[in-house]
Amino acid sequence: MPERTLSVGRVARILLLLAWLLALAGLAWVVSQRLHVSTDLRSFMPTPTTPDQRLLMEQVGEGPGSRLLLVSISRAGADASDDAQRTAAADPSDVALAALSQGLLTALKTDPRYSQVINGNFDLGALDQNLLPYRYLLSPTLDTQPLDAAYLSDQLQQRLEDLSSPAASLLKPLLPRDPTLEVLKLAQLWAPAKSPQVREGVWFSPQGEALLLVQTVAAGFDPGAQQAVIDGIQRAFHALPGSGQAQLELSGPGYFSVVIGAQTRHQADWIGRVSTVGFILLLLLAYRSVSSLLLSALPIASAALAGIAALTLAYSEVHGITLAFGFTLLGVAQEYPIRVLSHRRAGEDAVHSVRALWPLLLTAIASACIAYLAFYASGVSGLKQLAVFTIVGLLVAGLSTRYMLVYLLPTRVRDVADMPWLARARAWVDRLPRPRWIPALVAVLIVALLALAPAPFWQNNLAALTPLPTAMLQHDARLREALGAPDVRYLLVLQAPTEQGVLALSERLQPKVDALVAAHAVDALELPSRYLPSAALQRQRQSRLPDRGPLQEALNSALQDLPFRAELFAPFVEDVEAARRLPPLTPQRYAQSPLGQRLASMLVERDGHWLGLGTVSGVHDVAALQALGTASGGTVRLLDLKAASESLVVDYRTRILQALLAAAGLLVLTISMALRSVRRAWHVLAPMTLATFLVLAVERAMGIEISLFHLVALILAGGLGLHYALFFERDTGDPAEQRRVLHATLVCVLSALLVFGMLAWATIPVLRAIGLTVSLGVVFHFCLSILMAPHVHAAED
Amino acid sequence: MWAGTSASELAPAASNAAPAATHALVSALGRPAPAHTAFAEARFLRMLDRPLVVSGELAWLGGDRLQRRVETPRVETATIADGEVTQQRAGKTARTFSLKRAPQLQVLLDSFVALLSGDAARLEQAFAVQHSGDPAGAWTLTLTPRDARVARTVERIVIDGHGGESRCMAMQETDGDLAVDLLGPLAARMPAQPTREALQTLCQSAR
Repeated sequence: MPERTLSVGRVARILLLLAWLLALAGLAWVVSQRLHVSTDLRSFMPTPTTPDQRLLMEQVGEGPGSRLLLVSISRAGADASDDAQRTAAADPSDVALAALSQGLLTALKTDPRYSQVINGNFDLGALDQNLLPYRYLLSPTLDTQPLDAAYLSDQLQQRLEDLSSPAASLLKPLLPRDPTLEVLKLAQLWAPAKSPQVREGVWFSPQGEALLLVQTVAAGFDPGAQQAVIDGIQRAFHALPGSGQAQLELSGPGYFSVVIGAQTRHQADWIGRVSTVGFILLLLLAYRSVSSLLLSALPIASAALAGIAALTLAYSEVHGITLAFGFTLLGVAQEYPIRVLSHRRAGEDAVHSVRALWPLLLTAIASACIAYLAFYASGVSGLKQLAVFTIVGLLVAGLSTRYMLVYLLPTRVRDVADMPWLARARAWVDRLPRPRWIPALVAVLIVALLALAPAPFWQNNLAALTPLPTAMLQHDARLREALGAPDVRYLLVLQAPTEQGVLALSERLQPKVDALVAAHAVDALELPSRYLPSAALQRQRQSRLPDRGPLQEALNSALQDLPFRAELFAPFVEDVEAARRLPPLTPQRYAQSPLGQRLASMLVERDGHWLGLGTVSGVHDVAALQALGTASGGTVRLLDLKAASESLVVDYRTRILQALLAAAGLLVLTISMALRSVRRAWHVLAPMTLATFLVLAVERAMGIEISLFHLVALILAGGLGLHYALFFERDTGDPAEQRRVLHATLVCVLSALLVFGMLAWATIPVLRAIGLTVSLGVVFHFCLSILMAPHVHAAED
Repeated sequence: MWAGTSASELAPAASNAAPAATHALVSALGRPAPAHTAFAEARFLRMLDRPLVVSGELAWLGGDRLQRRVETPRVETATIADGEVTQQRAGKTARTFSLKRAPQLQVLLDSFVALLSGDAARLEQAFAVQHSGDPAGAWTLTLTPRDARVARTVERIVIDGHGGESRCMAMQETDGDLAVDLLGPLAARMPAQPTREALQTLCQSAR
C-alpha cells in the first residue's frame, strides 16, 4: 500500500511537472507571437507637458542634427596627431584617402537609406538636372540684378577671362547653358558655412583624415535602424579597393546609440553569465541538491514569462527599458523558492514546511506588489508597464512556489538547522547587542552624510549614465569642429501657420541671423529658406526674368566685340524662358532630390501649424540667440534640447518620488494590518527605511549624483530588505526555525551580492549604479534588520 | 604638328630614342626651385571665333606647387597646391576648386614639375613619352597621359626645346581645343593675332 501511494504520488508529480512545463511553453509561445519590443527611448518617457519638451520628444531622433553621421577615413595605424610635419607636397596617402572618400560617396548616394551624403566634392549639379531651370528662382541674383545687357556684358567678359584661366576646363561645359554661373552661386550658397580644408577634391581634417557627412533617413535614437545604416556604410567602405590600408571611423548621435546599446548589452551579458554560474554554485552549496536547484528555477521563469505575456496582452508595444528594469526588480522573487528550501525540515515534505512559512511569505509578496502598484498610478506609460510586469511576475512566482513547486520538491532533504556552523552563527547573531540608540545613531549619520555630500544631489543628465569613452567624444568634437556640423544641443524653432509662412519667416530672419554670425555670436545658423525661398520670393524673381525677345536683344548687344560664337548661348535663352513658366518649387516637389530631403528634415507639421528648424553650430553667445526669439513675438525661439531633456527627467523623477511616497504609505498600512501591531510594524519598517536612506547617504557621500536608475535600484533593495526584516522580526520561539531563517536570509543576501556586486564593478555607470545601490542596500538592510530586531526568546532562555 | 598630325610622323628616324637619352634630356632640364619663366599663351577654343592670348610668369615653387601669374590683359594669379587650385583676381574673392575636376591642370602640373625637377621617372609614370631630337640640340617630347580619366580630355602635350631649355609647350584636348604656351625668351614673340599654323612654325623654328 505505501508503495502504491508512493508511485501514485510520483506519477502525480511527473504530471504536475509536465503541466507546468507545458504552461511555460504556452506562455513562451504567446510571448514570441505577440512581443514587440520598442527601442525608442521616447516611449519610456513621461508625456511632455511644455512645448519645448514636446518638441524635444519629436526632435530626439528625428531632428536634422540627430540623424547626421560624421565619417572620417584615415590611414590604418596612422597616429592622427603626428601629422605636424606634413609637407606642402601632395601626400600620396591623401590621394588614396580622397579616392576612398569619393568611392564611399558614390556607393551611398544611390542608397535610399541616406538622404544626404557630402564629402566636400561639390557637384556642380547639386541641383537635380530636371530642376536646373529653377536656378533663376532659387539664386538671389535677380533680387538685385536684372538680366540686362550691361550685366550680361560684364558676366560674359568675366567668362572670357575664365576661359583663359586654369578654371577653363571646369567651366567650359557650363557656359552655353549658364553664362552667369547661377549653379556655382547656388553651390556656394549651399556649401556648409564653415567648410573643412579641401585637398584632392574632398574634405580633410587638420589631422589628415578624409571627412564625410551622412544624413540618414532613419531616426537617430532608433538603435536598430541605425545599426543597419552603419553596417551599410561599413560594407560599402570595405567593398572599395584599397580600403584595407585605411580605417573608417564614425561618430554622431545615431552611432553613439548603437555603441552604447552594444556596450551595455555586452557588459551586462558577460557579468550576467559569471554571476549566474556563481549563483548556481551557491545554491548547490547551500542545498546540495541538483533537482531542488533546477525546480526552484521554475517560479522565476514562470514569473518572467507571465509578466511579459501580461504586458503583450495589455500593450501593443513593450519598452526595452521596462523589460530591463522589470527583470532587475523581479530579483525579489528569487527569495521565495530560497525561503522554502531553507525552511524544510528533515523527513517533512515541502508542503508541510511551506504551510508554516506561507502567512509571512504572503505578507512579503503582497507588500511588494502593493508598493509596485504605486508605479501604476504614476501615469507614465513606461512605469505603468513596469508595474504590470513586476506585480504579475511576483504574484506568479509566489503562488507557483506555494502551490506547485512544493509538490515537486524531493521528499528527502537535509535540515539546514542541523548544520553546526549555522548554529554557531545564529548564536553569535543572537548575542549581538541591540542597543535602542542604533536607529538614532544611523539617522544622525544619514543626516550628516547627506549634509556633507558634495552638490548636486540629482543627476538630471540621462546621457551621463551611459557615457561614451572620452576618446570617442573627443573624436566627435574634433570632427564636428572640422566639419562645422550643427550642434545637437540647440535648435532655432520658427513657427507659422503654413509651410510657406515658415519659409517667409525664415527669409525675414536671415538678415538678423547674418548679423549674429558676423558678430561671432554663433559660427553658423542654417535656416530652411537657405535651401528653398518662399513661393512669393520665387514669383518675385520670376517676374524679373525678361521675355525671350528682350533677353535675346540684351544678349546680342552684350556679345558685341566678344569672340563667343553666335548661337552659343541658345540653351541659356531656352532655360530662362522655361524658368518664366515654372510653377514655384514646393518642398514636396523638391523632396525628390537630395537637397529637398535636407529641407524636409527642417520643416515639420504639428497640430495644424508648421515648424521650421534652424540648425546651429558653434554657439558663443546663447543670450544673443535667445534675444532673436524675444524680439519675434513668439514665432521664433531657441530650443535648448539639453535643458528640455533635463526638465523632462526632473518631471519623471517627481513622478517616481510621488509614487514612492504613496507606496510607503500603503506599505505601512499593509504591514501594520498584516502583523496587527504597530510596534511589530516598526521593527519591520524602521530598519528598511533607515537602510534605504543610509544607501542614499553613503552614495551621496561618495560623490554619486542620484539618477532614476539609482531610485529603481533602491526600490529593489527596499523590497529585499522588507523580506529580511519581516523574517527576522518573526519570533517562532523555535531555535531551529530561527537558524533556518538565518540560513535563508544568508543565502538570499549572498546571492543578491553575487549578482549585483558583480554589476557594481561594471565600467558602465548605469550598470554600476544599479549594482552598487542594490549591493549596499542588501548589506545595510541585512545588518540593520538584525540589529533592530527584538531579541528572540529562545536565545534569552 | 599639335594641330592634328601625329607626333610620330614628324621625325620617324629620330623618334623613340633610347630611354637613356630621354633621361639625360629630362635631367638636363631640371632647375632648383623656385624656378620662374616668362610665358605667353594662346588658346584656341571651339566656343570662340578667335584665340585668347594672355602672358605673364610661370613659377615652380617646389614640391607640387605651381604658380601661374597673368599680367596681361588683366592681372590674375592661380596657384596649384595640395590638389587645389586657387584663383585670385584683383577686387574679387578667391575661387578655389579641386585639381580632380580639371584634368588639364593635373597634366600641366605633372609635366611641368617633372621637367623642372628633372624627374624622368615621374614623367614616365604619368605619360607615355616619345622623344625625338636632332644633332643641333633641338628636341621634341610628346607626352600622352597614361591615366584613362585624364586621357579622356587631354590627348597629348608636346614640348619643344633646345639644349637644356624648354621653349614651347602645347596641350591638345580631345574636344579639339588647343593651348600653346611660348616659354622663356620666346614668350616675347607671341603674335598679336596668333594662328595655330603661325605658332607651330614659331615653335618648330626654335628647333
